[in-house]
Amino acid sequence: MSKDTQHAALQGYLDALLTDAVPEPRLATEPVAFLEVPEVAFSLPPMALREPLISEAQINQLPVSVSILAEQHDSVVSPSVVGATAPELTKSSWADSAFECLLFDVAGLTLAVPLVALGSIYTFEANELTPLFAQPDWFIGILPAQKTNLKVLETARWVMPERYTADMRHDLKYVISINGYDWGLAVHHVRNSIRLQPSDVKWRTQRGKRPWLAGTVIEHMCALLDVEVLAQLITGKNTSHNTA
Amino acid sequence: MQNSLAHSTDDPILQWVTFRLDNETYGVNVMQVQEVLRYSEIAPVPGAPSYVLGIINLRGNVVTVIDTRQHFGLPPAEVDDNTRVVIIEVDKQVVGILVDSVAEVVYLRQSEIETAPNVGNADAAKFIQGVCNKNGELLILVELEKMMSEEEWSELDTL
Repeated sequence: MSKDTQHAALQGYLDALLTDAVPEPRLATEPVAFLEVPEVAFSLPPMALREPLISEAQINQLPVSVSILAEQHDSVVSPSVVGATAPELTKSSWADSAFECLLFDVAGLTLAVPLVALGSIYTFEANELTPLFAQPDWFIGILPAQKTNLKVLETARWVMPERYTADMRHDLKYVISINGYDWGLAVHHVRNSIRLQPSDVKWRTQRGKRPWLAGTVIEHMCALLDVEVLAQLITGKNTSHNTA
Repeated sequence: MQNSLAHSTDDPILQWVTFRLDNETYGVNVMQVQEVLRYSEIAPVPGAPSYVLGIINLRGNVVTVIDTRQHFGLPPAEVDDNTRVVIIEVDKQVVGILVDSVAEVVYLRQSEIETAPNVGNADAAKFIQGVCNKNGELLILVELEKMMSEEEWSELDTL
Protein backbone atom coordinates (compact mmCIF):
# COMPACT_ATOMS: atom_id res chain seq x y z
CA MET A 1 0.00 0.00 0.00
CA SER A 2 1.46 3.40 -0.92
CA LYS A 3 1.86 6.03 1.78
CA ASP A 4 -0.67 8.29 0.08
CA THR A 5 -3.22 5.54 -0.18
CA GLN A 6 -2.68 4.49 3.40
CA HIS A 7 -2.88 8.07 4.58
CA ALA A 8 -6.09 8.64 2.63
CA ALA A 9 -7.58 5.45 4.06
CA LEU A 10 -6.67 6.42 7.59
CA GLN A 11 -7.91 9.94 7.14
CA GLY A 12 -11.20 8.60 5.84
CA TYR A 13 -11.46 6.26 8.76
CA LEU A 14 -10.74 8.97 11.29
CA ASP A 15 -13.28 11.19 9.56
CA ALA A 16 -15.79 8.41 9.96
CA LEU A 17 -14.95 8.13 13.62
CA LEU A 18 -15.34 11.85 14.08
CA THR A 19 -18.64 11.78 12.26
CA ASP A 20 -19.81 9.08 14.62
CA ALA A 21 -18.98 11.19 17.61
CA VAL A 22 -21.35 13.85 18.85
CA PRO A 23 -20.16 17.27 19.97
CA GLU A 24 -21.56 17.42 23.47
CA PRO A 25 -20.26 15.14 26.17
CA ARG A 26 -22.79 13.35 28.29
CA LEU A 27 -21.54 13.44 31.80
CA ALA A 28 -22.68 11.64 34.84
CA THR A 29 -23.62 13.79 37.75
CA GLU A 30 -21.84 11.62 40.29
CA PRO A 31 -18.45 10.10 39.57
CA VAL A 32 -18.15 6.57 40.80
CA ALA A 33 -14.39 6.75 41.28
CA PHE A 34 -11.90 9.52 41.54
CA LEU A 35 -8.12 9.36 41.43
CA GLU A 36 -5.37 11.86 40.56
CA VAL A 37 -2.60 11.43 38.00
CA PRO A 38 0.38 13.52 36.92
CA GLU A 39 1.69 13.75 33.36
CA VAL A 40 3.68 10.68 32.51
CA ALA A 41 6.13 10.26 29.67
CA PHE A 42 6.96 6.73 28.67
CA SER A 43 10.35 5.79 27.33
CA LEU A 44 10.55 2.35 25.84
CA PRO A 45 14.01 0.81 26.00
CA PRO A 46 14.36 -2.68 24.54
CA MET A 47 13.89 -5.26 27.26
CA ALA A 48 13.74 -8.98 27.50
CA LEU A 49 10.46 -10.56 26.57
CA ARG A 50 8.10 -11.42 29.37
CA GLU A 51 9.37 -8.41 31.29
CA PRO A 52 6.77 -5.72 30.93
CA LEU A 53 8.15 -2.41 29.79
CA ILE A 54 5.62 -0.79 32.04
CA SER A 55 4.08 -3.01 34.63
CA GLU A 56 0.59 -2.98 35.97
CA ALA A 57 2.01 -2.20 39.41
CA GLN A 58 3.81 0.86 38.07
CA ILE A 59 0.68 2.01 36.38
CA ASN A 60 -1.37 1.35 39.48
CA GLN A 61 1.04 3.36 41.59
CA LEU A 62 0.32 6.43 39.53
CA PRO A 63 -2.22 8.67 41.15
CA VAL A 64 -4.66 8.58 38.31
CA SER A 65 -7.38 11.08 37.85
CA VAL A 66 -10.31 9.33 36.38
CA SER A 67 -13.96 9.51 36.83
CA ILE A 68 -16.04 6.56 35.95
CA LEU A 69 -19.60 7.21 35.14
CA ALA A 70 -22.41 4.93 34.42
CA GLU A 71 -23.94 6.04 31.19
CA GLN A 72 -26.73 4.26 29.43
CA HIS A 73 -26.08 3.48 25.79
CA ASP A 74 -28.26 2.10 23.09
CA SER A 75 -26.96 -1.25 22.09
CA VAL A 76 -27.26 -1.07 18.34
CA VAL A 77 -24.87 -3.63 16.96
CA SER A 78 -22.65 -2.60 14.08
CA PRO A 79 -22.09 -4.68 10.94
CA SER A 80 -18.64 -5.44 12.23
CA VAL A 81 -20.04 -7.13 15.28
CA VAL A 82 -23.13 -8.72 13.79
CA GLY A 83 -23.66 -12.06 15.39
CA ALA A 84 -21.53 -11.12 18.33
CA THR A 85 -22.54 -11.33 21.91
CA ALA A 86 -22.90 -7.60 22.33
CA PRO A 87 -21.78 -6.34 25.70
CA GLU A 88 -24.14 -4.53 27.96
CA LEU A 89 -23.45 -0.94 27.08
CA THR A 90 -24.35 0.34 30.46
CA LYS A 91 -20.66 0.33 31.30
CA SER A 92 -18.52 3.14 32.51
CA SER A 93 -16.84 5.78 30.38
CA TRP A 94 -14.27 8.32 31.44
CA ALA A 95 -15.53 11.83 31.65
CA ASP A 96 -16.27 13.73 34.77
CA SER A 97 -12.83 15.23 35.32
CA ALA A 98 -9.40 15.20 33.74
CA PHE A 99 -7.92 11.79 33.04
CA GLU A 100 -4.72 10.32 31.65
CA CYS A 101 -4.52 8.36 28.44
CA LEU A 102 -1.75 6.48 26.73
CA LEU A 103 -1.42 7.10 23.00
CA PHE A 104 -0.39 4.34 20.67
CA ASP A 105 -0.47 3.70 16.94
CA VAL A 106 -2.02 0.86 15.03
CA ALA A 107 -1.36 0.90 11.29
CA GLY A 108 -0.99 4.66 11.37
CA LEU A 109 -4.15 5.27 13.37
CA THR A 110 -3.61 6.84 16.76
CA LEU A 111 -5.61 5.32 19.57
CA ALA A 112 -5.89 6.41 23.17
CA VAL A 113 -6.62 4.22 26.13
CA PRO A 114 -7.25 5.44 29.68
CA LEU A 115 -4.41 4.48 32.01
CA VAL A 116 -6.81 2.85 34.42
CA ALA A 117 -7.66 0.32 31.75
CA LEU A 118 -4.03 -0.60 31.09
CA GLY A 119 -2.29 -3.67 32.36
CA SER A 120 1.34 -3.79 31.20
CA ILE A 121 3.27 -3.15 28.02
CA TYR A 122 5.45 -5.88 26.54
CA THR A 123 7.71 -6.03 23.53
CA PHE A 124 6.23 -7.93 20.63
CA GLU A 125 8.46 -10.70 19.39
CA ALA A 126 6.74 -12.80 16.77
CA ASN A 127 8.97 -15.78 17.45
CA GLU A 128 7.96 -15.73 21.11
CA LEU A 129 4.28 -16.03 20.31
CA THR A 130 2.71 -19.45 20.07
CA PRO A 131 -0.02 -19.59 17.45
CA LEU A 132 -2.93 -21.93 17.97
CA PHE A 133 -4.62 -23.72 15.15
CA ALA A 134 -8.26 -23.11 14.27
CA GLN A 135 -8.42 -19.64 15.77
CA PRO A 136 -9.86 -16.47 14.22
CA ASP A 137 -7.59 -14.41 11.99
CA TRP A 138 -7.38 -11.65 14.58
CA PHE A 139 -5.87 -14.02 17.12
CA ILE A 140 -2.09 -13.82 16.70
CA GLY A 141 -0.99 -16.18 19.42
CA ILE A 142 -0.11 -16.64 23.07
CA LEU A 143 2.67 -14.60 24.63
CA PRO A 144 4.12 -15.96 27.88
CA ALA A 145 4.14 -13.02 30.25
CA GLN A 146 5.10 -12.61 33.87
CA LYS A 147 1.82 -13.50 35.49
CA THR A 148 -0.08 -15.23 32.76
CA ASN A 149 -0.14 -16.26 29.17
CA LEU A 150 -1.36 -13.27 27.24
CA LYS A 151 -3.66 -13.92 24.35
CA VAL A 152 -2.62 -11.42 21.75
CA LEU A 153 -5.01 -10.01 19.20
CA GLU A 154 -4.37 -7.99 16.10
CA THR A 155 -5.84 -4.63 17.02
CA ALA A 156 -6.20 -3.39 13.44
CA ARG A 157 -8.61 -6.20 12.60
CA TRP A 158 -10.86 -5.03 15.39
CA VAL A 159 -10.75 -1.30 15.00
CA MET A 160 -10.63 -1.06 11.22
CA PRO A 161 -11.73 -4.39 9.78
CA GLU A 162 -13.17 -2.76 6.67
CA ARG A 163 -9.79 -1.17 5.90
CA TYR A 164 -7.58 -4.00 6.99
CA THR A 165 -4.75 -5.08 4.72
CA ALA A 166 -2.25 -7.85 5.29
CA ASP A 167 0.69 -5.47 5.60
CA MET A 168 -0.84 -4.07 8.79
CA ARG A 169 0.48 -7.17 10.51
CA HIS A 170 4.06 -6.18 9.82
CA ASP A 171 6.28 -4.35 12.26
CA LEU A 172 4.13 -4.84 15.33
CA LYS A 173 6.32 -3.80 18.24
CA TYR A 174 4.37 -3.84 21.47
CA VAL A 175 1.61 -5.67 23.24
CA ILE A 176 -0.57 -3.69 25.61
CA SER A 177 -2.36 -5.88 28.09
CA ILE A 178 -5.80 -5.00 29.32
CA ASN A 179 -6.21 -4.59 33.05
CA GLY A 180 -8.18 -7.48 34.48
CA TYR A 181 -8.04 -9.60 31.34
CA ASP A 182 -5.49 -11.99 29.90
CA TRP A 183 -5.77 -10.35 26.50
CA GLY A 184 -3.29 -8.00 24.89
CA LEU A 185 -3.47 -5.58 21.98
CA ALA A 186 -0.66 -5.79 19.43
CA VAL A 187 0.31 -2.29 18.32
CA HIS A 188 2.92 -0.68 16.11
CA HIS A 189 4.08 2.18 18.31
CA VAL A 190 3.57 3.37 21.84
CA ARG A 191 3.81 7.11 22.20
CA ASN A 192 3.28 9.14 25.35
CA SER A 193 0.57 9.83 27.82
CA ILE A 194 -1.71 12.83 27.64
CA ARG A 195 -4.06 14.43 30.09
CA LEU A 196 -7.51 15.00 28.72
CA GLN A 197 -10.33 17.10 29.94
CA PRO A 198 -13.79 15.68 29.30
CA SER A 199 -14.44 18.61 27.00
CA ASP A 200 -11.48 17.54 24.84
CA VAL A 201 -13.37 14.45 23.80
CA LYS A 202 -16.22 14.13 21.39
CA TRP A 203 -18.11 11.48 23.27
CA ARG A 204 -20.27 8.98 21.54
CA THR A 205 -23.71 8.59 22.92
CA GLN A 206 -24.49 5.55 20.86
CA ARG A 207 -22.06 2.70 20.47
CA GLY A 208 -23.91 1.03 17.64
CA LYS A 209 -21.35 0.97 14.87
CA ARG A 210 -18.24 0.70 16.99
CA PRO A 211 -19.06 -0.37 20.52
CA TRP A 212 -15.43 -0.09 21.59
CA LEU A 213 -15.18 3.59 20.58
CA ALA A 214 -15.74 5.89 23.56
CA GLY A 215 -15.10 9.03 21.54
CA THR A 216 -12.58 10.97 19.52
CA VAL A 217 -10.04 13.62 20.42
CA ILE A 218 -9.65 16.09 17.59
CA GLU A 219 -6.62 17.83 19.05
CA HIS A 220 -4.66 14.60 18.93
CA MET A 221 -6.55 13.13 15.98
CA CYS A 222 -7.11 9.96 17.88
CA ALA A 223 -9.85 7.55 18.82
CA LEU A 224 -10.46 6.92 22.51
CA LEU A 225 -10.95 3.24 23.21
CA ASP A 226 -13.39 1.88 25.72
CA VAL A 227 -11.15 -1.03 26.53
CA GLU A 228 -13.65 -2.58 28.88
CA VAL A 229 -16.18 -2.91 26.09
CA LEU A 230 -13.54 -4.17 23.68
CA ALA A 231 -12.51 -6.81 26.18
CA GLN A 232 -16.13 -7.82 26.59
CA LEU A 233 -16.49 -8.19 22.85
CA ILE A 234 -13.43 -10.39 22.72
CA THR A 235 -14.25 -12.56 25.69
CA GLY A 236 -17.89 -12.68 24.71
CA LYS A 237 -16.95 -15.32 22.17
CA ASN A 238 -17.31 -12.84 19.40
CA THR A 239 -16.46 -14.79 16.29
CA SER A 240 -17.76 -12.39 13.68
CA HIS A 241 -14.21 -11.22 13.03
CA ASN A 242 -13.12 -14.64 11.98
CA THR A 243 -12.55 -14.22 8.31
CA ALA A 244 -10.72 -17.51 7.93
CA MET B 1 2.19 -46.68 32.91
CA GLN B 2 1.28 -44.68 35.89
CA ASN B 3 -0.44 -41.55 34.78
CA SER B 4 -1.09 -39.86 38.04
CA LEU B 5 2.05 -39.67 40.09
CA ALA B 6 0.79 -37.42 42.76
CA HIS B 7 -2.01 -38.72 44.87
CA SER B 8 -3.27 -35.34 45.73
CA THR B 9 -6.76 -35.26 44.37
CA ASP B 10 -6.59 -31.50 44.30
CA ASP B 11 -3.68 -31.11 41.96
CA PRO B 12 -2.62 -34.36 40.28
CA ILE B 13 0.50 -34.61 38.18
CA LEU B 14 -0.16 -35.91 34.69
CA GLN B 15 2.23 -37.23 32.07
CA TRP B 16 2.07 -35.97 28.54
CA VAL B 17 3.81 -37.18 25.41
CA THR B 18 4.93 -34.17 23.44
CA PHE B 19 5.35 -33.93 19.71
CA ARG B 20 6.10 -31.22 17.20
CA LEU B 21 3.89 -29.94 14.42
CA ASP B 22 4.70 -26.88 12.35
CA ASN B 23 7.32 -25.66 14.86
CA GLU B 24 4.97 -25.84 17.82
CA THR B 25 4.92 -28.39 20.61
CA TYR B 26 1.80 -30.36 21.39
CA GLY B 27 1.02 -32.78 24.18
CA VAL B 28 -1.28 -35.77 24.46
CA ASN B 29 -2.13 -37.76 27.55
CA VAL B 30 0.43 -40.53 27.92
CA MET B 31 -2.27 -43.01 28.92
CA GLN B 32 -3.69 -42.79 25.42
CA VAL B 33 -0.39 -43.43 23.66
CA GLN B 34 0.35 -47.05 22.84
CA GLU B 35 3.59 -46.64 20.96
CA VAL B 36 5.56 -44.41 18.64
CA LEU B 37 6.65 -45.68 15.22
CA ARG B 38 9.12 -44.45 12.67
CA TYR B 39 7.48 -43.45 9.44
CA SER B 40 6.95 -46.37 7.11
CA GLU B 41 5.00 -46.82 3.96
CA ILE B 42 1.38 -45.85 4.45
CA ALA B 43 -1.00 -47.52 2.03
CA PRO B 44 -3.58 -45.06 0.72
CA VAL B 45 -7.22 -46.02 0.97
CA PRO B 46 -9.37 -45.06 -2.03
CA GLY B 47 -12.43 -43.10 -1.01
CA ALA B 48 -11.14 -42.32 2.45
CA PRO B 49 -11.75 -38.87 3.97
CA SER B 50 -9.10 -36.28 3.17
CA TYR B 51 -7.72 -36.31 6.72
CA VAL B 52 -6.88 -40.03 6.39
CA LEU B 53 -3.43 -40.71 4.99
CA GLY B 54 -4.00 -44.42 4.73
CA ILE B 55 -3.37 -47.60 6.66
CA ILE B 56 -0.38 -49.42 8.08
CA ASN B 57 0.11 -52.99 9.15
CA LEU B 58 1.00 -53.02 12.82
CA ARG B 59 1.95 -56.57 13.72
CA GLY B 60 -0.96 -57.98 11.81
CA ASN B 61 -3.44 -55.29 12.80
CA VAL B 62 -4.59 -52.66 10.34
CA VAL B 63 -4.25 -49.16 11.79
CA THR B 64 -5.57 -46.03 10.13
CA VAL B 65 -3.17 -43.09 10.05
CA ILE B 66 -4.52 -39.56 10.35
CA ASP B 67 -2.93 -36.58 8.62
CA THR B 68 -2.67 -34.50 11.77
CA ARG B 69 -1.52 -31.35 10.04
CA GLN B 70 -4.47 -31.44 7.70
CA HIS B 71 -6.88 -32.22 10.53
CA PHE B 72 -5.58 -29.27 12.55
CA GLY B 73 -5.68 -26.94 9.57
CA LEU B 74 -1.90 -26.63 9.36
CA PRO B 75 0.11 -26.48 6.14
CA PRO B 76 1.46 -29.78 4.78
CA ALA B 77 5.09 -30.79 5.24
CA GLU B 78 7.48 -33.29 3.74
CA VAL B 79 8.17 -36.52 5.58
CA ASP B 80 11.72 -36.69 6.94
CA ASP B 81 13.81 -38.76 9.33
CA ASN B 82 12.11 -37.25 12.35
CA THR B 83 8.57 -38.00 11.20
CA ARG B 84 6.75 -40.35 13.52
CA VAL B 85 3.41 -42.12 13.75
CA VAL B 86 2.02 -41.96 17.27
CA ILE B 87 -0.33 -44.86 17.90
CA ILE B 88 -3.12 -43.74 20.18
CA GLU B 89 -6.15 -45.42 21.66
CA VAL B 90 -9.30 -43.45 22.19
CA ASP B 91 -12.50 -45.12 23.30
CA LYS B 92 -11.08 -48.52 22.39
CA GLN B 93 -10.32 -47.38 18.87
CA VAL B 94 -6.72 -47.40 17.75
CA VAL B 95 -5.42 -44.91 15.20
CA GLY B 96 -2.10 -43.43 14.25
CA ILE B 97 -1.44 -39.73 14.06
CA LEU B 98 1.38 -38.48 11.86
CA VAL B 99 3.57 -35.87 13.56
CA ASP B 100 6.74 -34.00 12.60
CA SER B 101 8.66 -35.50 15.51
CA VAL B 102 8.18 -36.81 19.01
CA ALA B 103 9.92 -34.88 21.74
CA GLU B 104 9.64 -36.27 25.26
CA VAL B 105 7.37 -37.12 28.14
CA VAL B 106 6.68 -34.23 30.49
CA TYR B 107 5.05 -34.02 33.88
CA LEU B 108 2.48 -31.31 34.39
CA ARG B 109 0.45 -30.39 37.38
CA GLN B 110 -3.21 -29.96 36.64
CA SER B 111 -2.98 -26.47 38.08
CA GLU B 112 -0.29 -25.56 35.54
CA ILE B 113 -2.66 -26.06 32.66
CA GLU B 114 -4.39 -22.93 31.48
CA THR B 115 -7.47 -22.87 29.39
CA ALA B 116 -6.99 -21.95 25.77
CA PRO B 117 -8.73 -18.91 24.32
CA ASN B 118 -12.26 -19.86 23.58
CA VAL B 119 -12.74 -17.79 20.47
CA GLY B 120 -12.19 -20.17 17.59
CA ASN B 121 -15.32 -21.18 15.76
CA ALA B 122 -13.61 -23.79 13.62
CA ASP B 123 -14.29 -27.40 14.55
CA ALA B 124 -10.60 -28.00 15.17
CA ALA B 125 -10.53 -25.38 17.93
CA LYS B 126 -12.25 -27.76 20.30
CA PHE B 127 -9.29 -30.17 20.14
CA ILE B 128 -7.28 -27.79 22.29
CA GLN B 129 -7.61 -28.80 25.91
CA GLY B 130 -5.34 -26.08 27.24
CA VAL B 131 -1.86 -24.64 27.22
CA CYS B 132 1.02 -24.85 29.64
CA ASN B 133 4.45 -23.25 30.01
CA LYS B 134 7.15 -25.87 30.27
CA ASN B 135 10.91 -25.47 29.92
CA GLY B 136 10.54 -22.02 28.47
CA GLU B 137 8.06 -22.91 25.81
CA LEU B 138 4.34 -23.19 25.50
CA LEU B 139 2.79 -26.63 25.20
CA ILE B 140 -0.52 -26.98 23.44
CA LEU B 141 -2.42 -29.86 25.01
CA VAL B 142 -4.67 -31.82 22.71
CA GLU B 143 -7.82 -33.55 23.83
CA LEU B 144 -7.79 -36.69 21.76
CA GLU B 145 -11.38 -37.60 22.60
CA LYS B 146 -12.50 -34.52 20.73
CA MET B 147 -10.13 -34.93 17.85
CA MET B 148 -12.64 -37.02 15.96
CA SER B 149 -16.39 -36.74 15.92
CA GLU B 150 -18.59 -39.81 16.24
CA GLU B 151 -19.25 -39.63 12.52
CA GLU B 152 -15.53 -39.57 11.80
CA TRP B 153 -14.89 -42.55 14.07
CA SER B 154 -17.65 -44.40 12.24
CA GLU B 155 -16.06 -43.47 8.93
CA LEU B 156 -12.73 -44.86 10.09
CA ASP B 157 -14.40 -48.08 11.19
CA THR B 158 -15.65 -48.68 7.69
CA LEU B 159 -12.27 -48.26 5.99
